[in-house]
Amino acid sequence: MKKLQFDYFMEIRYTIPAKECHFTIKCMPYTTNRQKISDLKIELLPDNGYTRDNDSFGNQQIYGCVSKTHRDFSFHITGNADVGLSDFEQTECGGIFPVFRYPHGMNCAQDNLKAYFKSLESSLPQAGGYERGVALMHALYRDFHYEKNCTDMNTTAEEAWTLGKGVCQDYAHILIALCHLAGIPARYVTGMLIGEGYSHAWVEIYDGGCWYGLDPTNDLLVTDSHIRIGCGRDALDCMINRGVMLGGGTQTQSIRVNVSEILD
Amino acid sequence: MQEVELLKNTDTVNELLARYGVKFGIYKNNTFKEQLFPFDAIPRIIEKEEFDYLERGLKQRVMALNLFLKDIYSKKQIVKDGILPEDFIFASSGYMAECEGVTPVKDIYSHISGIDLVKGKDGSWYILEDNLRVPSGASYPMIARELCRRSSPETFHDTRLEDNRNYAKLLRKTMDYVNVGGHSVILTPGRYNAAYFEHSYLAEKTGAHLVNGSELRVVDDKLYYEGYDGKLERVGVVYRRISDEYLDPMNFNPESVIGIPHLYDVFRKGNVAIINAPGNGVADDKGIYYFVPKMIRYYLNEEPILNNAPTYLPFYEEDMKYVLENFDKLVLKDVAEAGGYGVVFGSSMTKQQKEDFLTLLKEEPRRFIAQEVIDFQDLDILEEGGPVPRKADLRAFVLMADEPMVWKSGLTRFSRNPDSFIVNSSQGGGFKDTWVLSR
Repeated sequence: MKKLQFDYFMEIRYTIPAKECHFTIKCMPYTTNRQKISDLKIELLPDNGYTRDNDSFGNQQIYGCVSKTHRDFSFHITGNADVGLSDFEQTECGGIFPVFRYPHGMNCAQDNLKAYFKSLESSLPQAGGYERGVALMHALYRDFHYEKNCTDMNTTAEEAWTLGKGVCQDYAHILIALCHLAGIPARYVTGMLIGEGYSHAWVEIYDGGCWYGLDPTNDLLVTDSHIRIGCGRDALDCMINRGVMLGGGTQTQSIRVNVSEILD
Repeated sequence: MQEVELLKNTDTVNELLARYGVKFGIYKNNTFKEQLFPFDAIPRIIEKEEFDYLERGLKQRVMALNLFLKDIYSKKQIVKDGILPEDFIFASSGYMAECEGVTPVKDIYSHISGIDLVKGKDGSWYILEDNLRVPSGASYPMIARELCRRSSPETFHDTRLEDNRNYAKLLRKTMDYVNVGGHSVILTPGRYNAAYFEHSYLAEKTGAHLVNGSELRVVDDKLYYEGYDGKLERVGVVYRRISDEYLDPMNFNPESVIGIPHLYDVFRKGNVAIINAPGNGVADDKGIYYFVPKMIRYYLNEEPILNNAPTYLPFYEEDMKYVLENFDKLVLKDVAEAGGYGVVFGSSMTKQQKEDFLTLLKEEPRRFIAQEVIDFQDLDILEEGGPVPRKADLRAFVLMADEPMVWKSGLTRFSRNPDSFIVNSSQGGGFKDTWVLSR
């Protein structure tokens, strides 16, 4: 169990002024049985008002529109999180739950990933979704390489696997695809990791009524170093921010994320 | 015989249709081509009693499909009760997780349903497919009737038939019923859309505004129409032909440039009605089609009035066995395809094609349905040398307001190729008016 404080800041600068900027931000961690969120603060600039509610996956979101002309847009989310209150998540997804058994969007396996799964199949534990999922994570960590700037936000699991390298989003999509092939329900999770300078992504797999967090980028079980933000079938369902606007020219996005432990 | 008068005017009517822009746009090899939708003046005639029977069956079917959609996006009782395997919902590309727990205005999902039927040689009608994603086509018989009445008024004076020009009234009623307060608009992707003629015609006839995405704006969880003067006016209902994934770049495909940012959020809040509701694709999937008679029994506790064509689901072992044994007499359909694509006849495959297909079928049994080939009744069409028989189907339209309303007409499509069973307009077919006799 750890007490963490988090600070998520994102800024988008436009080379020419933008207006009618519609945004949806899914960057607010919420309390579950594994984490307790307190003192959550949201700052938007320019602040033109927004709506706050939940999407179909239970993620917290804020959305709205900055209609007047502006040259940069930023949001800043801060708060405290007690994490590691348990080793698993019991967040309900209600009637939506079965979708996490089926391939969707960026997590669909094609020939190369299917062949990879076949090569692993005989070495997997015979029983237990959790044990099999963890074994798949270890294998993926061994066989896939971390490298920035070779994939982008639209890269699919199959494309990243074929390339052999990528970032946390790619690790997560591939692990979900492998879990589906093994018959394990799996979902994509966004969040923050202690110390990291960016947002992070990992996977939750379902076994015996609980969701277990697996962080394939670090070959790590999710316990008390991760703050969970949201989940979905793939990265698109729970993208931290989405926007469309008029004008804007070229956009430069900068993200600063800081998670540190509060020591009593 | 007054009808002869009507037939003599076929060319005149076709010329007028061309002048009014009754065209069908199709994309082939990445280029946009507009083609005329050829009209054949010999109407399909349906007796009153026969149509009364169709009407009862169509209402029943659409009621059940609406209840199914409501159930699937909330409790999923039909899955829990073991009537329908969950694979057919969650692995379907038409199921939209974003619609989970969202209730459309007055619980109506399919405001406009296009039910495709054929009449067998034995005289019985069979349902071929359900189209619940704003099916197009009603405007063609509407305008054809209008032009035929103008070119040969006597024919219509002497024949007792239902006036099909009331479609606009039915559509208006459907829109008004779910309008949450504000304008009614018809949202079109623009003139390069296959159904642009229909959008503009229906807008004119219903009095709704014809708009494109850039004229609609979301402000504070409400939808507005922005006029030339920049004034915002509230919109209460949107008839759209944009498919779900392009409807709103903030909630669906982020690449969409024809959608309206946050429209879906307004809908979720119940602040606008969308015709038809997003998420309907899960109910008109060809795999789900197999289960519609079961839905009618399950939700309405009634026996289906109209039958499906005899259909097999290779997903079930018993059906797979039947399909393998009777392959040559069946037609196979890919559940994910529409518009007459992905349809193959067992009898017309080469040995190699058949082998490849069977391998695929065994790998992905959920992906296909198999149907008996129905020997449909041919309808005569006029060619240069005189009337010749051709395959034809009927798209019936059911509109839903406080209760389902069946339009007393329909789009009769025919294949111009004497050897083809495929009547889809996107594959070069033509159309006829459908006359429902009033006594």
